[in-house]
Amino acid sequence: MSPVLPELPWAALLILLPLSGATAAALWPPAARAIGLLTTAAGLLLVAGLGAMVADADTLRHPVGGWGAPLGIELRADAMSLVFLAATALVGLGVAVYADSYFERAQARGFWPLWLFLLGALNALFLSADLFNLYVTLELMGLAAVALTALSGGRAALSGAMRYLLATLLGSLVYLLGVALLYHATGTLDFTLLAERLEHGPASRTALGLMGAGLALKTALLPFHFWLPPAHSSAPAPVSALLSALVVKASFYILARLWLELFAPLSGLEGAGTGEVLGWLGMAAVLWGSWQALRQSRIKLLVAYSTVAQIGYLFLAFPLLTAAGLPDPAAWRAVLWLVLAHALAKAAMFLAAGNLLRFGGHDRIPDLDCVAQRLPLTVAAFALAGVSIAGLPPTGGFIGKWLLLEAALLQGRWDLVAVMLLGGLLAAGYVFKVVGHFFTPAATGHAARPVPPAMEWTALSLAILALLLGLAPAWLLPWLDLAAAPGPAEAVP
Amino acid sequence: MSGAGLYALAGVALVMLGLYGLAVQAHLLRKLLAVNILGSGVFLVLVGLGGPAQAGPDPVPHAMVITGIVVAVSATALGLVLMLKLTTTGGRPTLEDDTPGEDPEA
Amino acid sequence: MSLLQTGIDALLALGLVWLAWRALACPDLFRGIVLFIAFGLLMALAWVRLEAPDVALAEAAIGAGLTGALLLAALARLHRIAPAGTRADTREAWRNGPALLLVLAGAGLGLAVLSLLPEPAGLQAQVAAELGRSGVSNPVTAVLLNFRGYDTLLEVLVLLLALLAAWSLEAEPPRREAPPGPVLDLLLRLLLPVLVLAAAYLLWAGAHAPGGAFQAGAVLGAAGVLALLAGWRLQPRLTGLPLRLAIAIGPGGFLLVAWALLLAGRPLLEYPPALAGALILLIETLATLSIAATLAVLFQGSRPGAEPPA
Repeated sequence: MSPVLPELPWAALLILLPLSGATAAALWPPAARAIGLLTTAAGLLLVAGLGAMVADADTLRHPVGGWGAPLGIELRADAMSLVFLAATALVGLGVAVYADSYFERAQARGFWPLWLFLLGALNALFLSADLFNLYVTLELMGLAAVALTALSGGRAALSGAMRYLLATLLGSLVYLLGVALLYHATGTLDFTLLAERLEHGPASRTALGLMGAGLALKTALLPFHFWLPPAHSSAPAPVSALLSALVVKASFYILARLWLELFAPLSGLEGAGTGEVLGWLGMAAVLWGSWQALRQSRIKLLVAYSTVAQIGYLFLAFPLLTAAGLPDPAAWRAVLWLVLAHALAKAAMFLAAGNLLRFGGHDRIPDLDCVAQRLPLTVAAFALAGVSIAGLPPTGGFIGKWLLLEAALLQGRWDLVAVMLLGGLLAAGYVFKVVGHFFTPAATGHAARPVPPAMEWTALSLAILALLLGLAPAWLLPWLDLAAAPGPAEAVP
Repeated sequence: MSGAGLYALAGVALVMLGLYGLAVQAHLLRKLLAVNILGSGVFLVLVGLGGPAQAGPDPVPHAMVITGIVVAVSATALGLVLMLKLTTTGGRPTLEDDTPGEDPEA
Repeated sequence: MSLLQTGIDALLALGLVWLAWRALACPDLFRGIVLFIAFGLLMALAWVRLEAPDVALAEAAIGAGLTGALLLAALARLHRIAPAGTRADTREAWRNGPALLLVLAGAGLGLAVLSLLPEPAGLQAQVAAELGRSGVSNPVTAVLLNFRGYDTLLEVLVLLLALLAAWSLEAEPPRREAPPGPVLDLLLRLLLPVLVLAAAYLLWAGAHAPGGAFQAGAVLGAAGVLALLAGWRLQPRLTGLPLRLAIAIGPGGFLLVAWALLLAGRPLLEYPPALAGALILLIETLATLSIAATLAVLFQGSRPGAEPPA
């Protein structure tokens, strides 16, 4: 299909390159910036190469160490992992360029290796087909994310990071306990073999509960969202963007994989019942998160609560899957679309918020002082991204929510439909609340600091990508249809 | 019940103790102790469930636990540094009276 | 299984739970940490009883030893920063509501564990079948460095990451310290060679007997911790690139091996069987150095070479 890109072990390169970059940047700090920017940019090329091969072969497997499952670990790349890898590469590049202007020299020295570790961990996670290997990637990702959160060293950032560390450690250990049960129930850690061997029973039920709870905690699904607003709102702006756009999606990815491939195909309690529970939590998250966002008076907190709500949308697909007892590709392609759209738009929003903070020295919404005239690019970025988050046409967020709405309507799930519509209204409310203040003068004037052009343009570029996503459904939908029909079908060799 | 089963059950008890400690203790050093005990409990379940079977012990959980121990010490080290830095900036090694929303970037 | 052995196991299991509870509940933090170290040593005994000697060594050296040292060092620093913050009054914190909930959850979890106990599945047979091609004869080392070597690569990177994270935070300005006492200094001169030899033995033995890079690295790291306690410091000219090299050479060497194999057209981390033993020894040796350096530097707290404030 693609004569341009040769057949290379793209998956292995996607993991090795950033991790080697991180080690090199730690060893030789003066080169950290160059290594960081180059490695991040190379990620796009590697994802493209992998994508060309996945388009040809559907699912690629790479036996690490040459052993193959169950003795060894296998990497797996398919359309679903590719959606997450692509989001990581795109958002990562935008954020890296932004961060290059954002951080002072001393903080930049800390940022580059930590970011490359995070990038490597994310890529490794999206490519892993082994439950224990996923635990190690989760820890690598979690520690890198915590360290990045604390980078600014302020009291709020430190306590946000500490809360985050405890939550993420607890989440991974509870997940690991589930892994222990599954391993001894089936004698394997490999997804495909597990799907063949796992049987309905107390062990699989308990494992599902443990892994689901651990991953929901890491994904900040209500009522486990308590750690997210303090961490995401107090981190440096580029880090907030990475956390909201990518890191919470990583644990969601594992949860979705587990669900689609292992637990939903089982009969009994593992299936429908838990799907309903996750759906309810998702609904609660949409309403509660949006309502909290509407009440905030600071932009970064508002955007962080909006993440709590948008994560809720991702979980609305779980009851849609199990109602029919079979995977519903329509619901899943909607989820994947939302993942991409939210990653781009939320990153743009946090970067724009960072610009406003840099400009005025604060991010209090009522005190925004005619920023529309003074930072037009940033304001455009925030507004465009906000329109996508609120799910209004013609943006990527609109298509995602439309697809999800369609799936819910087809199954007659009026409760989900009502929540989606209400959530959309609330989101429009909090976005326009901020945008409205962009045009008003503040009661007291503020000293303004210049914002480097690279910081404005990267925020705008990501927002424009979120918009373009809404204009390209015909081009992207076949991909997502491929990605949305994995799982049970794959379990039959 | 075999000896291995006893250890697996002790692991479950440790997990619960760790969870409880993490939830009710305010001091961050104690919370980190609780996480470590929780982790030890998980490791005991992982190996204890395999037990000394007829075919001899299963080395795969052993390797996983060694990996887990190294990850745990790394996380503990990071947690302790965070705790100290938090105490230098705020006076007390707890998270109690922090309300989100103050002072975004120092 | 004899009654006596079951009795020992039951006592050990109860002792673990009791020590964990005391470590979390006693009002004095210092005592809590000491109890936690005792808990770690008891865990090591439990690993021995579970026929997991490799884990027992790792637990004693890392879980109890170095984690304990890190905790005690942190408590001492905490005492300097905020003397009031070193006490944790737990009496009012212990509540009954959540406890009941956790007992119920624990009972459910215990039942799930019991359901698996009769015939747990595992990978003993597969490991035994491929052990001959792994390059080592200790099955745990074979899993750690060959069958699941990729996990171990990520794990040494986690350790490096933790150190970088600690450095990026710069927890505490380094301080001037009193010169070491002559007795401690002399003791250390006697003890250090023994520890270095022990580490070398553990590293070499890991190929066929319990031991390996992590245990050896922890013992070597403990030697570093002792040296730091005695007041020894790296010479300033060694705290820059040489120290960073020592810290990064483990993960870096592992990554270079991975690149070389990939360039040779093999899958990620697939060793040629003839070279497997040598490659594993190389990776483990470099990892031992890095693990030791990283653990010792983490213990010291501040970045070596940073100037104390005048």
